[in-house]
Amino acid sequence: RISSDGNPAKFQPPPKPVIIDKQKQREEKRFLSPEFIPPRGRTDPLKFFIERKDMIQRRKVFNIPEFYVGHVLAVTTADPYANEKVSRFVGICIQRGGKGLGATFVLRNVIEDQGIEICYELYNPRIQAIEVLKLEKRLDDNLMYLRDALPEYSTFDVNMKPVSHLDHEEVPVNKLQVRMKPKPWSKRWERPKYNIKGIKFELPEKKMKEAQKWSQPWLEFDMLREYDTSKIEDKIWKEVSEGLKK
Amino acid sequence: MMPIWTKSGKKHAVTLLKVQDCHVLRYISKEESGGKTSKLLVGGKNASPFYKSESAMEIFKEAGVPRKQKVTSFNVTDDAIIKPGTPLYAAHFRPGQFVDVTAKTIGKGFQGVMKRWGFKGQPASHGQTKTHRRPGAISTNKAAKVYRGKKMPGKMGNIYRTSFGLKVWRINTKHDIIYVNGSVPGHTNCLVKVKDSKLPTYKDCNKNPPFPTFFADGDEKLPEDLYDEEIFQFTDPSVTYA
Repeated sequence: RISSDGNPAKFQPPPKPVIIDKQKQREEKRFLSPEFIPPRGRTDPLKFFIERKDMIQRRKVFNIPEFYVGHVLAVTTADPYANEKVSRFVGICIQRGGKGLGATFVLRNVIEDQGIEICYELYNPRIQAIEVLKLEKRLDDNLMYLRDALPEYSTFDVNMKPVSHLDHEEVPVNKLQVRMKPKPWSKRWERPKYNIKGIKFELPEKKMKEAQKWSQPWLEFDMLREYDTSKIEDKIWKEVSEGLKK
Repeated sequence: MMPIWTKSGKKHAVTLLKVQDCHVLRYISKEESGGKTSKLLVGGKNASPFYKSESAMEIFKEAGVPRKQKVTSFNVTDDAIIKPGTPLYAAHFRPGQFVDVTAKTIGKGFQGVMKRWGFKGQPASHGQTKTHRRPGAISTNKAAKVYRGKKMPGKMGNIYRTSFGLKVWRINTKHDIIYVNGSVPGHTNCLVKVKDSKLPTYKDCNKNPPFPTFFADGDEKLPEDLYDEEIFQFTDPSVTYA
């Protein structure tokens, strides 16, 4: 380079370091548990408000972690018939159902070649602890097809160590395509009404085309079925976060 | 309806009933009504005064109260008479009491005999000609007539029915809500009449209820939520079996 007039070059300050403010990133990531969103209906909103107060009360005393379908959880419950009055079950969450205080989640595991599914209520006072062992979202909201998949996809070690996860990172999505047992299945998972993306269908082309006969492409344009929850979610998120901060 | 858990870990289903603008409208004495006890007319939810005639509005004007959607009568003993115009609140009931709830059931319209009375009908196949949900025989040969009250198809629902002996688990004094055990006749947001239970097992259950009723401007200051002794309150830690 030609230096200007022999004078020393102008002082260039060093490039500013990029600071990833992890506190701000965590605040931006808002997660509202799906059981807080009221279903569409003619019930009085006062009922949902009172239910939400109870749910916030319970969450203050007992921590319910953020989890999605596909996470591996370990739940300890108080059991009057167990030896130590406490029973622990580890499994993959295949479904989250119910709204309000009656919200449930189903954990599935295969123990000694026997598939076991237990449906737990989130707000049941007998639950002592819920630990998230592995954070991993799957391609679907509902993993009921694991019942007809090969048992290796539902087995999880009962004494699994919790896999560490950094707070500010997003929950990873596992794009695993599951292999199924031979037909007949409990439900016809290849039909478009279930909209499953996580199965590796090894069926012949003819059967897949025949399954598309039951597709209902008009459903996504049906205006009466629309339920926009964005504004309701914002209001409820503010209410819940303020309730938990107190 | 909501779930409620007891301290032993059992779950019960509970219906929420809201006491919305209830006022006492009129006192009818024993001689006037012609019954064994005197009556108190009580009105429910507020409604518009423009859809009723002047004569119908007289009762509300006397009591000094807006027009009510539903007016029911309660048989009262002489020592429990309340002045017309007093508001009634949910704190009139206390947790641990037993209560009867009356309401109009959900109307199902004209229904056949299988849904209305639970008849078995006929088999779906094996030669049945046009007979799958019919009542079959309606009387015997010797009777030579059909008895009065024979169960036949007709309008089902939309009649007053009562659920007896429902326990009151919790009362919210701020929003005037009563948590009543089990289910209650009627659709969501319908008007419902709540009375003390008439069942003989619960005759001595009411220990010191607010008598004649709970007065909001009185001396008693109740907490926002009144719970039954056995309820698990969400402020407590999780249930354990020792």
